[in-house]
Amino acid sequence: MRDAQNNLWQYRARNLLSVTIICLSFLILGVFFSLSNNLQHVADEMSESMVVVFFLSPDITAKDLSHIEERIKASPSVVRVTYVGRQQAWERFQKNFPELQEILKNLGTNPFPPSFEATLQKGSFRSDDILGFIEEIKNVTGVEDVQFNRDWVRKMQSLSRLARAIGFFLGGILILASFIIISNVIRLNVFARKAEIEILRLVGATNTFIRLPFLIEGITLGILGSLLSLGLIFLLIELFPLYLGHSLGALQEIVGFRYLSLSQSLSLIVGGALMGVLGSMSSLSRFLKI
Amino acid sequence: MIELYHISKQYQEGQWALLDINLHVLKGDFWFITGPSGSGKSTLLKIIFREILPSRGQIVIDGINILRLPDHRIYRLRRSMGIVFQDFRLVFHKKVFENVAIGLHVLGVPLKEVRRRVFNALRLVNLHQKMWEYPSHLSYGEQQRVAIARAVVNEPQILLADEPTGNLDPELASEIMSVFKEINKQGTTVIICSHDKELIRHFGDKILFLFKGKIIGKEVLPSSKR
Repeated sequence: MRDAQNNLWQYRARNLLSVTIICLSFLILGVFFSLSNNLQHVADEMSESMVVVFFLSPDITAKDLSHIEERIKASPSVVRVTYVGRQQAWERFQKNFPELQEILKNLGTNPFPPSFEATLQKGSFRSDDILGFIEEIKNVTGVEDVQFNRDWVRKMQSLSRLARAIGFFLGGILILASFIIISNVIRLNVFARKAEIEILRLVGATNTFIRLPFLIEGITLGILGSLLSLGLIFLLIELFPLYLGHSLGALQEIVGFRYLSLSQSLSLIVGGALMGVLGSMSSLSRFLKI
Repeated sequence: MIELYHISKQYQEGQWALLDINLHVLKGDFWFITGPSGSGKSTLLKIIFREILPSRGQIVIDGINILRLPDHRIYRLRRSMGIVFQDFRLVFHKKVFENVAIGLHVLGVPLKEVRRRVFNALRLVNLHQKMWEYPSHLSYGEQQRVAIARAVVNEPQILLADEPTGNLDPELASEIMSVFKEINKQGTTVIICSHDKELIRHFGDKILFLFKGKIIGKEVLPSSKR
């Protein structure tokens, strides 16, 4: 352990370089994980409260209204039906988009039609049966239009998968580079200590005794790099929204970062340690024949 | 203690570095192996501590055929030996204390005991006052004595030394040889390769003469204990 500490300090410049490279590799991976988490979160939120909005004719009769409501409620995929009147829709819009109030005032009339909002059962939006149901209601007298954002959920999920795949791809390349760098740093350290290793062999040191400090060095470099990357990801998640401000509006949700889960964070740390071990071992097996 | 049976070593086809060496070294012996450069002295030592394998023959040390030792067990053999090289093989970025203690760290000796034994080993070679200096600050003879202290610190059963007095002035060489004699008196079997005739004449008990890889003579001087 003390030998490993000494080596880490003695060759600090090259060790610092390898920690930086490892950190950058894991940072790339972590950033894409974080983006992917956020997109997945958005998709989950959307699918949790998946709502089909049936826009009704402004002059719909009470009979048609109750007929439509019953037809919607009859579907097993629908858990709740809410009627949103024209006035209510107007107020909701004003509340959600206060910056557009002036435009509404200039219109002079209320442009919002009444609607039924049918909240779907969780997960039921994936089924194609729901499309049949929507089509059926759409043809009922008094229903003018339907809004169903299933495609958005799918898009979010695809984007999340894409972000993760890009992360794996770029991170993978950089992790491979880090592996090579660790391997070379350990090789240089082995060469630098060649005389000492030779003496250790002659005084009866076991292979493990000789190799252990190098393995500890590799693991330390890997863990330090990955911990540093986690710290930077944390800072990024904290600081990025401040940098971005509120100019993106609704897009803010999608472009943001989300904290890595505990298992993802642990994976990064374990990945760093593992890379350190493998990098060291590949070097030791080639350059430290005992 | 050390039994060599028909040991031969060939580095290149047709060129024998050693040829049919037979030798029995008893516990507590003090042997000199001598001969001109290229006679196979160092090769013989390397074979004894299993740095290299012979092309033919067998070596038994303390009843164990060391040629049958698997690689991962060689460390056990080496722990029973102390080895001094002509080029010292010191670690120059470590202090004298750390250089000598290296063999004890390998054995997992507690630090307090390490300090005691390193001090004693350095006192034996009269270098205990330079324990906290770097080898590069020491003279050639002092560096050699550090190498000897490192070889004896774990009280080995066998001490092998390859030209330990090479390039030293006669006075210093004699001083170092006295240290070996002292270690030998404590029961350690000592084998020294040297071509210093004067030294051998003065300190030799048992002498093996090599020439072009062959034994050309063995001599047991009257001063020998046995």
